[in-house]
Amino acid sequence: MSPLARIEWRAVGTTCSAAATTTFGQEAAAQLALTAAQDEVAACERELSRFDPGSGLSRLNAAAGDWVQIGPRLREALRLALRAREETAGRFDPTVLPALVAAGYDRSFDLLEERPAERADGWHRGASIEVDEQRCLARIEAGAAVDLGGIGKGYAAGRALDAMFEIAPRIRGGLVDLGGDIAVRGDAPGGGPWRIAVADPRRPGETLAILALAAGGVATSGRDARRFGPHRSLHHLIDPETGESALAGPLTVTAVAPDAAQAEAAATTLAIASLTEAETFVTVRPELSALYVPHSGPPIPLGRPPFEPQRFVVKAA
Amino acid sequence: MQRVWVVVLSVWAVLAIVAVLAWSSRPAAPAPQLASQQVLVKGANGKQRLVVLKAPAHATTSTSAAVRP
Repeated sequence: MSPLARIEWRAVGTTCSAAATTTFGQEAAAQLALTAAQDEVAACERELSRFDPGSGLSRLNAAAGDWVQIGPRLREALRLALRAREETAGRFDPTVLPALVAAGYDRSFDLLEERPAERADGWHRGASIEVDEQRCLARIEAGAAVDLGGIGKGYAAGRALDAMFEIAPRIRGGLVDLGGDIAVRGDAPGGGPWRIAVADPRRPGETLAILALAAGGVATSGRDARRFGPHRSLHHLIDPETGESALAGPLTVTAVAPDAAQAEAAATTLAIASLTEAETFVTVRPELSALYVPHSGPPIPLGRPPFEPQRFVVKAA
Repeated sequence: MQRVWVVVLSVWAVLAIVAVLAWSSRPAAPAPQLASQQVLVKGANGKQRLVVLKAPAHATTSTSAAVRP
């Protein structure tokens, strides 16, 4: 028997949970691991949130054009975001923040008020971000601003999972879920992989598929939630090509990758990609797979998503 | 005669030790609240079918929605 210890709390603007597979006699260690996950998410939020004026990211944005001392988490998250921008040829761009704010997404989602969308003055894609890793310094281009929302959550999920295993190396498995950005490692309770349900965006409360994952990350991005503006016509997925809410792309896409930050970067990229672009993107990256859910018609697997086999109900005659 | 009793008792002692070891190291049962179950169901036509009951997932991924107060 391998019990599951679980904790749920609110952070990073969403509902978070962490779970640890343990063995009898190790329950205290599992609780320590869960607390470590919670603390790590809080530490990441203090550095990476753009809604906290005192965060490292807010200070970096406020001092655009100047070198700013940053913490190790912000340094690492910036490095990951820059790598994702390079690997996606700019389809993922952490500097779309001015365009996002101009569109109306200028405060935490639950505080948004309706106002007409505007275009960001002087905004351009691919603004420069320099990171001095040795001295923990960063500088962004004057007039630019960075948003690490999605990839920051993926990064925080991975860090929190690492923290669980660092403080309690004898736990048999762990899972961290930050509002759908999920990182897993090791055994689920009862042995075997963790089962991650992919929510059906067209039928709330229903599940499209179950993924079975022993290690790695999962993230979903789409335009089925976080809609705002006049008649909820806008969404938070900004196309770096235009600086406006993206027109192309599926209703949602779920990406599976070796870690949650990569999964989040892939999901954000695929969420503004046509089906052909998405197929090409996944084909040349064998470490990725995805479930692309178009606005109508059946979901389309890209690559080889690790679907859980033979877990359906056979109705008796 | 004494040697016979010694052998009989030794055999019983070994069997008891084996039984204790087997009991204490039995394979872990899956967590009941999360394991899938398989049930044989007899249909109206008399045929038996295997029904695999879905196990609940450990987490759900979806587009992150804002926290509702």
